[in-house]
Amino acid sequence: MSGFLEVDTITKRFGGLLAVHDVSFEVNEGQIISMIGPNGAGKTTAFNCITGLYPVSAGDIRFMGRSIVGLAPHRVAKLGITRTFQNIRLFSYMTAVDNVMVGEHCRMRARVWDAVFRTPRARREERTVEARALATLRKMGLERYSDAYARNLPYGLQRRLEIARALASNPKLLLLDEPAAGLNPQEKVELMGVISRLRDEGLTVFLIEHDMRVVMNISDRIVVLDHGEKIAEGEPAEVRNEPRVIEAYLGHGAASASAG
Amino acid sequence: MPDGVATHHVTQPDVTGPVTAAEARREESGGVFWTLVIGGLMLVVASWLLPWFVEETSNGIGASPQDALTQLFSGGPTGVGSFVVAVMGLAMLALVAGVVYDAVGNVTKRWAPMRWAFWRGVIAAVGLVCAVLIWILIGVNREEPLFGNITNLASTDNAVWMTMVGFGVLAFAYLMRDFVMQRSGVAFTIVAFIVGGLFPLIFNQSASFIGWGASIAAVYILLALGLNVVVGFAGLLDLGYAAFFAIGAYTTASLNSPRHGIYLSFWLIIFIGAAVAALFGAILGAPTLRLRGDYLAIVTLGFGEIIPDMAKNNLFSQTGGPNGITGIHHPSIFGYDFGLDSRSYFWALLVVIALAVITLRNLEHSRIGRAWIAIREDEIAANATGINTISTKLLAFSIGASVSGFAGAFFGAYLGIVTPEDFEFAVSVTVLSMVVLGGIGNITGSAVGGLLIAFVIFWILPHAQEWTGTFGATTGVTSLSTIDFSQYKFIIYGVILMAVMLLRPGGLLPSRARRVELQSGIESEALAAVQGKA
Repeated sequence: MSGFLEVDTITKRFGGLLAVHDVSFEVNEGQIISMIGPNGAGKTTAFNCITGLYPVSAGDIRFMGRSIVGLAPHRVAKLGITRTFQNIRLFSYMTAVDNVMVGEHCRMRARVWDAVFRTPRARREERTVEARALATLRKMGLERYSDAYARNLPYGLQRRLEIARALASNPKLLLLDEPAAGLNPQEKVELMGVISRLRDEGLTVFLIEHDMRVVMNISDRIVVLDHGEKIAEGEPAEVRNEPRVIEAYLGHGAASASAG
Repeated sequence: MPDGVATHHVTQPDVTGPVTAAEARREESGGVFWTLVIGGLMLVVASWLLPWFVEETSNGIGASPQDALTQLFSGGPTGVGSFVVAVMGLAMLALVAGVVYDAVGNVTKRWAPMRWAFWRGVIAAVGLVCAVLIWILIGVNREEPLFGNITNLASTDNAVWMTMVGFGVLAFAYLMRDFVMQRSGVAFTIVAFIVGGLFPLIFNQSASFIGWGASIAAVYILLALGLNVVVGFAGLLDLGYAAFFAIGAYTTASLNSPRHGIYLSFWLIIFIGAAVAALFGAILGAPTLRLRGDYLAIVTLGFGEIIPDMAKNNLFSQTGGPNGITGIHHPSIFGYDFGLDSRSYFWALLVVIALAVITLRNLEHSRIGRAWIAIREDEIAANATGINTISTKLLAFSIGASVSGFAGAFFGAYLGIVTPEDFEFAVSVTVLSMVVLGGIGNITGSAVGGLLIAFVIFWILPHAQEWTGTFGATTGVTSLSTIDFSQYKFIIYGVILMAVMLLRPGGLLPSRARRVELQSGIESEALAAVQGKA
């Protein structure tokens, strides 16, 4: 089999703590896949393993048939996997458009020499990239704020700017770590619209989310982690009724009550 | 796009600092404007005080303004020259009073500062005209040439030059205020390089001061510019920057001195020196750049100690031990030998500084500069966004090091000798305090900070003993001549660093980002905490 992103029995150990244990799943191209699970289930750790921020202790991760285990984060980004962070990590003291232009970094070709002498090639590239960054901001509804410093943006817009930055490198797979956290219901609805639109444009989205309404509404498939292990995987309707999932979320009694 | 997104209105956080880059730019322009005004004013006032410091004032044409004013008000004018000097002195008083008026108004919040800017420009222009007239009168009325072997009127010449330049800067700042505000970088650069280029003429009677300009001020400005790349742009605290300075100086010294009997052209060597320094920057960087913050500072601190020690221990019998490398050949260009003429070095260094500023500015506003700043802001996010953090940081180290390599090359060639003592830890601290004082991450700020600290530490302090001695001799307090001010160097660094951090944490000319951080940081963080979003 050759999926789009294949996570093959990865394990991540922090000293004695088994944060992720023998987890395998696949992300298919053009879908929205969600990863859910209680706090401390290892979801963000799995993200960090995929994007190269953590080396995996065991197992393999393949992206479009190529193993990306051991690659530095910027190499993973260059291959087409970018991400956002659970606790927003924008470049606070850069403007919104500069934040997005940083996202374009790995697509740009200007070398030191071009930068020092401001060669026509570098200037042309700088102009194109700026125009493209503005287009990305427009796509996320941020064009009014292009000149504002990231830290001065309201929280909801900061979340969106982070997505814009991740989109700037034209990724094939977008990883979103709790994109709806801290948003109000109105903002959540808008965000879901944005994410579905990205999927419709051909982008594959893999997200971690706590808000069940968000997850059930937009996901094509769901992976459930608990205590570092995968306890369920499937379409939203299947996962919803899986006893182990209910147990993980609501406790042992709830699962038996639901099953009975 | 869904309608909800376009019409989405969110209350902006209630912050007082600049919210957009355009606002930050406007504030930065204000900083440059004030730098020009205060700098011009200081030149004008210093020109007034200069005759007191250097030698007793002479009378008649070419006297210092206070002489002429005294004459005018006590015994009436004694000649056309006194009248011109008096007008110029009044212009000085008016301009000084204007700035004091602004300051008082600003503190008491009674009135808005900077009223009558246009008329101040006119006053400054009048002062400039008077200063030029005085200069001409001196030339006409004196039998000796203006730039000749004059000793008796030497300080007056310098004073008149300083007055002209000071009034010129003030007139430019006030009359061209809109231009300065809109294109602050360009305006500052123009003024800085014109004044810089005139420096050896202004002080043409004081060889030691030009020597200070060539061997200290220009070299340290270059060093501050280089360190600003590492500390300011990429956010890597480097406490051993003097090591790269040493590597550049020793490389050029080795390739153009009797030590190894190699004599290459100086203009080739400076690039070799810079390249070798850059190489060492990369060599040091490779293993250490995985470290963060404090740990990196400690490792660079060690490196900064190792290099001069290696030179002192006569590494492979190549570096001459504690005596260093002597007899370095002076550069020459198109058959003109620089020799010991400090003016040539100064002008050459000015060209190098100009090229460095252009290069660093271009880099700052390129993909690479953006990557540096992104790494400074959040290294993990930068890496995950597709920036190769290791190579980008190495590049910052190498470029910073290569700039100091140029500085080292000129330093060695001017002095004709390099010794390990020239590159001690104190040099790293000096350069770091220059960057901190001027404004971390701001090219203009680093240059201004470099100039100010170089002036205070390497000119005022060594001469303060003379001055207090003279003062003590005239007032009868002889103990004043026994104070050795140079030993208070580190106190000055300490005071500067503390004062900057407490009073103006972004430095004299903060970079845009730092300005936003300082002005909006406190309020918005508190706000975020209240909203549970921190």
